[in-house]
This record gives sequence, structure tokens and C-alpha cells, in this order.
Amino acid sequence: MWSRVRGWGGAVGGSCRLAARLLAGPASGREAAGVARLEGRTHSKIQKLFSTSSVLSTEKDESTASKDSTTEVASKSTAETPKQKLLDIIGNMKVEVSYRKKLQQLKTREIKKQATNKLEGPDGKGSILQKTAEDTQRGKPLSPELVEAASAVASFLPLNKKQTESELIAQLRRHEETTDKQKKGGTINIRNVISEMAIKRQSPAQRGVRISNRISLELDEDGQRIKPERLSPQSFDSRRSLKVGRRLNIFTKASTETENALKTVSSPTIWDLEFAKEIAAITAQPPRNGFEEMIQWTKEGILWEFPIDNEAGMEDDAEFHEHIFLEKHLEDFPKQGPIRHFMELVICGLSKNPYLSVKQKIEHIEWFQKYFEEKKELLQEI
Amino acid sequence: MAARRLGASSWQQVVLLSRRCCLPGGRRERYRCSSSNTALGKTVENSEVTQEEIVLPRRKIWDKLAVLQTLASTVNRDPTAAHYMFQDDPFLMPRNAANSRLFSLSKESGRNAAKYIIKQFPQYFDKTFAEPNIPCLMPETLTPQIEGLSEEALKERIHLRRVKDSVDLFDQLVQAGTPVSLETTNSLLDLLCFYGDGESTPEKEDLEEPGVNASEQEAPKREFQRGSQPSGSRWRENNNAERIFKIMPERNAHSYCTMIRGMVKHGASAKAYDMYIGLLNERHKADVHTFNALITAVPYLKERFLERWELAKVFLNHMAQQEVQPNLLTFNALLKTLRRCGGVGRNMALLVIKEMEALDIEPSLATYDHLLFIFYRGADLCPSGIISEVLGDVGKRSFTPQDPDDANFFATAMQVCCDLKDIKLAYRLNKAMEKGDNWKFLDMDRLNAYWSKFFSLLCMMEQIDVVLKWYKEMSSSLFYPTPKNILDLLQALDAANHLEVIPSVWEDMKQLGFNRRQDLLEELLSLMSRERHPDEIQLAFAKCAEEIKAVHEQTRREQSLLEWTGSTLGHVALLFSRAGRTQEAWNMMERFQQISRIPTDQVMDEFLNCAKKTNCPDEAIKLVKLAASLGLPSSQRLKNRTEKEFELSEKQKKTLESIKSDSDSSDSDSDSDSDRD
Repeated sequence: MWSRVRGWGGAVGGSCRLAARLLAGPASGREAAGVARLEGRTHSKIQKLFSTSSVLSTEKDESTASKDSTTEVASKSTAETPKQKLLDIIGNMKVEVSYRKKLQQLKTREIKKQATNKLEGPDGKGSILQKTAEDTQRGKPLSPELVEAASAVASFLPLNKKQTESELIAQLRRHEETTDKQKKGGTINIRNVISEMAIKRQSPAQRGVRISNRISLELDEDGQRIKPERLSPQSFDSRRSLKVGRRLNIFTKASTETENALKTVSSPTIWDLEFAKEIAAITAQPPRNGFEEMIQWTKEGILWEFPIDNEAGMEDDAEFHEHIFLEKHLEDFPKQGPIRHFMELVICGLSKNPYLSVKQKIEHIEWFQKYFEEKKELLQEI
Repeated sequence: MAARRLGASSWQQVVLLSRRCCLPGGRRERYRCSSSNTALGKTVENSEVTQEEIVLPRRKIWDKLAVLQTLASTVNRDPTAAHYMFQDDPFLMPRNAANSRLFSLSKESGRNAAKYIIKQFPQYFDKTFAEPNIPCLMPETLTPQIEGLSEEALKERIHLRRVKDSVDLFDQLVQAGTPVSLETTNSLLDLLCFYGDGESTPEKEDLEEPGVNASEQEAPKREFQRGSQPSGSRWRENNNAERIFKIMPERNAHSYCTMIRGMVKHGASAKAYDMYIGLLNERHKADVHTFNALITAVPYLKERFLERWELAKVFLNHMAQQEVQPNLLTFNALLKTLRRCGGVGRNMALLVIKEMEALDIEPSLATYDHLLFIFYRGADLCPSGIISEVLGDVGKRSFTPQDPDDANFFATAMQVCCDLKDIKLAYRLNKAMEKGDNWKFLDMDRLNAYWSKFFSLLCMMEQIDVVLKWYKEMSSSLFYPTPKNILDLLQALDAANHLEVIPSVWEDMKQLGFNRRQDLLEELLSLMSRERHPDEIQLAFAKCAEEIKAVHEQTRREQSLLEWTGSTLGHVALLFSRAGRTQEAWNMMERFQQISRIPTDQVMDEFLNCAKKTNCPDEAIKLVKLAASLGLPSSQRLKNRTEKEFELSEKQKKTLESIKSDSDSSDSDSDSDSDRD
């Protein structure tokens, strides 16, 4: 990306560098203010710089003109390049802006506005740059100062003054238009500018001349962002794999001792508790059937646990079958008849009674046995 | 009591079963036949072979859930029924995705309302009816029990998560000159930082309770994780946490760490970074959670991708220097940051994975989710190498949740399969999803997204039989198809030339509540009316058409009237004509005039054919009149056909003749009126 910037930077020289500084600056608001302040103080210096740069560019022009031998074409091409430059700059700046949050964007604009207001008065030429570069001064027609400045710039170019001037002004108008559009359209327009920029990005990439590190830093990001996405799908990813490749080599594997040492930490904080809850919530699913619902209730403690282990009631050294199968205690009773029937009902009741111990149950049966034994004669009479 | 009884009876059951086991060999066959008793069959066999008595172990302890889990595992999903949670009230069976969401939400909110009442008015719930007591149904004690100014009271308030009370008490303690121990102050900071200095409202806590249905509570949380900046309560300048942190006489690493985590959680990333610098200046060491938080904050700290990566690497190097062992969440946070680093992310993600491998840290689903996002986001798709490998790894394991982002994996992966249009990958993914407890990672919303993507892919890539089989299996018991799915299904039916299934799809559309969707109706009708089918299919189609007509004509107060369009009207008329329902077809034809649309020639011809077949010259004449009044170019042709193909009475001939002269529509209208009489 910045090779291209270098390209035109070299082609036109200092003025462009300055422009780029000015342009790249405002995108990150604070810098804009800084530059503006700087310029407020030493605008005469800048003017000087600017004028020399125009001379530089004129020289360049002449060289191209001599090469091409047709003056008309040459002047046109030089006029064309600045236009291109400016468009590119605007484009780049928009990308910068689009990365930021909307709020910041607004803030930057505010700062820009202030910066331009400062600049506008004292220095006509400064304001051209400001004007062309930034989206301030919206809605107003081109100020006479600007037109004047444009003609001043044109006068530095020896060839076809009129044409250069009109082209410069036309360019200014166009920026005014885009400014207006963006003011209305907001982010969508910014996107348009980006897409426009993406096309224009290609051509200047070949020109390789130096440019200051500052700009390269500013624009580095774009290159990083765009390039890998362009290149990667075929070239890199086809041989990408989870199995092969390097590692980061930052950490070393901890020995088990240190791991154990780490594990002995104090009581869980609220962070730990809530994280555990959050993790549990990921796989929390509503029950899919009645059994799962019962599982859930069991876990919540609503449902009694299924006594599926045979250890229940083992404390008094009696197993569950002794609690339930009490028929063996009926051997001394008659094998049939109403007493037998009665006793079967009794053991049925006893087997379902969880509150009595086995001993008590047997005692209960024995009591009946004794009772019927005592009444035996009476009963037989009946 | 009841439960005990239940217990007793189940004892008997157990014994009954064990008795059966000891049955003599003669009756063995019977048990072998019943497939469910294979286990019993085995024991019987054993007893026969060894002739030994089975010795029951004196003590055998089972998990309290073992039986229930076994039973639950025998129940499969019923493809004809809605989810179990809807089954207690047949009236509230959801028919479509919106309903199911609404009903499940209302069920859950009812539960939450009950909980709220219990919490809010514990005084009304002081009777313990249950014996033994069931604590989870009783109100918790949420009011502080310890009164007065003391550190104990402060501790209690912190434990009860009363943010404001704790802060007040802390201030009072400080004012009274009572020193508060570092530990207590730290736990107060924990509380403040976790809640971002806002009160821990009971609703908020409910949202984070694990028992609650996952689907509804995840939504806001996900948003906060995905959004550019965490929403929710924001970190305010000079809030109580900062204030207390400043006035603390001594601070240890924990104080710094909890502040950093709180700041990151509540969106004050830059402050968190400054706090971290402060921690370094004090020569403390941060813990792994703090580093994880810092790594997640990286995208908010730096703008440029490379700078983000560099900063993340700085944190990692600090971890290594401070001898903090990274955990799974560290790497997941790193990958999550790389998601927002564009091409840098792609280049670095695999290095991160290798690093995890080298440290023997098993990736969780969130790791894979981030990986897929990094490699398969955007229009330019990578080749399927990575996802194939990821699925290979995922297929081998059953996952337990470890990272809040784990839940996203299956939906993301299905999206990638869909983008790659790779049905084989989708099948593999589905297999992995069904493995073990992996299905639990899909909550209701993600489940719908997952299956609807899968189904669209099936429609696109699979044989129609397979598609229909899946459709039958999944539809409305597993997920509710979206309109897009139905459209895909219709297109798949069209491609496979299986249009006779359309009436049943229409039934489903009615069920799903899509019967008023213009795009679907249009597609359905155009498919049905495109060609002539055998008569019975044509009859079934006409029935659908009738219902569609009814849909257009019903006016319910809450719904706006569904407008006829020229094409739908034409299709319906065509379907009626083909089924020989002349009168209904004519009713449709009349409607063309009412809504001032032009029927196509095909519709006119088909209607004439129908009139001919059912021998209704009157209708044919009416059609010619209609064509004339609409000024159609085909009117003359239709007239000729009518003259030739129908046996007309004198009067009818006369009427037909008269049509030619009056091309004025109003005239022909009055004519047709008189005709009808």
C-alpha cells in the first residue's frame, strides 16, 4: 500500500508529503488539532514550504513535458495526477475513519472543523489543502479565497494556466459534492469511497519511491487488512492444517508439581461461582421425557430418591426381605380358615410399614399367636 | 410417607424380579423372547449352567439416579410429537417456531414468577408441609441476620450479595475507624466488580441460574459477548469500586486482579490496561483469569490488527515471565481476539492451536468455533481442509462445557457446511452432534438455526427420498421449519419431479402458520399449476387451491386482508378448471375483473376446456364476454372456439353473436347479469 504513496510522494515532492501529513493527520483527530495549531503558529513557514514544493513539481512537470514533447498532453497528465492523488488521499482517509467508532468519527469532524476554521483565515493555500482533503465547509459554494488560491497554484505551473486552474477548481467542487453526499448518506457513502479506493489501489503500487515513515505507519493497516484476504484463499490455506506447523513458543509446559501447587487456592470468589453457573447453563436442557424430569426433580431434592440400593434399613441389622416377607412367621398358625386369612392381612400391613423394626414386627405377630392360643378353646367352641 | 410406601412396593418388585431370575430352566424360553429382559435371560442361563444359587451382595450402593437414567435412556424422541415440555396441555401445543418459543418462555417465566413471589414474601411460606423438608421449595433467607457495625456483618452482606448495603456498611466501618481486613475488602471488591457497582437484582441472578431453560437466558448474554462493546451495566467513572480501591490502605494482587476483571467485564478496557500497568508497577503478579480478561480486551485497546496481535503477545509473554500457566480459557480468549484481527488472525490461529497441543491443553468446542470463524468467515471461502480436520477431532470426543462460547460451535459449523455446500461434512457434523451429550450444546434457538441450515443443505444436495425422510423425522418434533426451508423443500420437490407431495406440504404450511405468506403461496401455486397431472393429483391440487382461496377470503380482525395477485388468481382458476370444478373456476375468473387484472391465455383456454368437458356452454359464453370486456386479444379466438366446440341453443348463439358488437365493458356486465337470470 505505502509503496504507492511513496510513488506519488516522490513524483511531486515535498508538497505532497506535506499534504499527506495534513491529510493523514486529521483522520486521527488529535493529530489534526496538533497540525492545525502548528500551522496557526507558523503558517508563513508552511507557505514557504508549499511554494518551494510547487516549484519542485513544476520542475518535474517540465521534465515530463520535455520527454513527451507535446505540451498539451503533459500539462494534462500533471493535472491528472494531482487529481488522482487527492482522490486517493480522500479515499485513504475515509478508510481510517471507517475503522473508528461513530462517536469518534463525529469527534474527529468537530476537531477538523475547528482546525479548518483556524486555518481558513490567515493562509489561503493552507486552506486549499485543508479544503480538498477534508469534508468541512459543507454546503457553501467555493469561497473566492479558494478560487484565488487555485489560480495562484496554477500560475506556478508554466503550462496552460487556465486549464490547470479550472481543473483544480473542478476538483474542489467535486470534493464539495462528495462531502455533501457523505454528510447526507453517512456510512454508506464511506463504503462507496472505500470500494472506489480498492480499485484505485492497484495502479500506483508499482511506483517505488521513498516516503516518510509516518505515512507508512498510518497506511500500514490497510495493507495488512486487505492483502491477506486477497492472497490467502488459494496460496496459504490449501496447505494449512491443524496437524503441521509451528507453535508460538511462548510457554513451557508446567511440571506437575507447579500445577498441583497452583490448584491449592483459597475459597472460590464470586467470579468462580458465577462462571460455574454460566458454564452449567450452556448444556442445561429442559427434560425430554418423564424420566428425565424425575431425574431433575431428584437432583433438586423435590423427589425422593429411589431406594434402589439394598442397604436401606440395614442399620438395625435386618435386611429388607426380613421386613417384607413375613410369611415364614405364620407357620404356627392354622393353614386355612379365618385366622389364617386375618393373619395374612396383618403381615401384608406390616410389610408395608416402614416405621417398625423387624423385631417389633415379629413381636406383633407373636402377640397374635399368643392371643389366638389363649382363645383357642373359645374359638373352637364357636 | 408416600415415598416410603413407594419404596416398599418397589422392594417387592425387586424381589419379584429376582425370583423370576431363579425360575427353573424350563420356562427360560419365554424370557429369552422378550428382548427387554436380555439381562435376566443371561442370569437364568448362568444358573442353569453352574447350578449355583445366586448370592445377592449384602450391600450394593447405586447412584440415586441410576435407575432413572437407565429408564430415560430407553425413551426415544417421538417424531410425531412436540417437545416434552409442551405435553402437559394439548391446547398449548406449539405449531411453529414462534409459538414454541412463546410457550417455553411463558412456562419458564411462570416458574420465575413463582420463585419471585416466594423470595419476595417469605413470611407467607413459613409452614413446612413436606416431611422431610424440601429446601429448594422453601424461601431462602436473604435478609442479613447480623446487626450492628462489624466486619462479620459486612461479610454476611457480601455473602448475600447486597451491593449497596455492603458499601454503606464498609463506609460506616471506615468512618468509625474500624479497620477492615484486606481479605474482606477484597471480597467486597469482587462483589462490586462483578456487578459493575450495580445492585444484584434477583431477576439478574435468575438469568444466571443453571436450572433455568437455557434458551431464553442465553440470548442477552450472547449479545453482550458478540457486540463490539459489552453492553449492560457500564463501568462508571469513580464508582464505588474505584473509590474503595483508592482508599484501601494496602492492596494485594487480588485487589488489582479483580479490578481489572471488573473493568473488562463492564467495558472499561483502557482503564483495565492502566490498572494492569499499576499492578506491574507494584510488582505484583496477575492471575490467569486476569490475563484472560486482558486478552479479551485487546480488540478494544488497539485499532490495528497487527497491533492487536502484538499486544496479545505481550500479555502472553508477561504470563510466561510471571510463571502463570495458561489454561484453555486463555487460548480461547486469544482466538476470540484473533477473530477480530482479519488476516493476522488467519496466520496466527494455527500457531495458537499448536501451542495448545504442545501444552497438552485439550481444545473445547469454543476453540473450534473460533477457528472456524477465523477461517470461514466472509465471502471468500477457504478449502474444506480445516473444517474437515476439526470435525475429525470433534467426532472423536464427547465434550463437556468449559467455555461459555462452546454453545456456538455446532451452529457455526453447520453454517460453514452450508456455505461450502458440502453435504458429507454436514453428515459428519451431525454425527458428532448426536454423539454423547453433545446435543445438549444446542439450546432452542441454536437448535432451530442448526436444523434449518442442515435441512436447506439437504434440500439442495440430497435425493428427494432422503430429504423427505429427514423432513418427516425432524419437522415439528425437532425443529420448526422456516419459510425458507419450505421454499427449499418445494424447489427440491420440483427438481425431483415429485410434485404430488405438494398437498401434504401445504398441510404442513397451514400447521406452521405460513398459509398467509405471499411468496410461499405464489411458489406453491405456480408449481401446482405448471403442468397437467393425473386426475387424482389434480383433484388434490384443487382442494389445496380451494383452501388457498379460503385463506384469501377470510377476514379476521387482527389480520390484514391477503390480497389476490393476478398470478395467484390465475393459478387457482387453472387448478379449479383442471379438476373440472367449473363453477368455482368461474368465480375466480370473475374476480379478475373485480381486481382489474388480466388473466393469461393459458387460464382462458383451460377454463374453456373445462367448460367443454363439463358441458357448460353458459360458462363458455360468459368467458367470451369476460374476455371481450377486458379487451383481450384472445377474445375472438375464444369466441370461435366456443362456436365450434359447443352445441349452443339459439338463444345462446344470439348472445354470443351480440358480444362482438359491444366491446364496452359496462354493457357486457349488464348482459352477463341478465344472462345469469
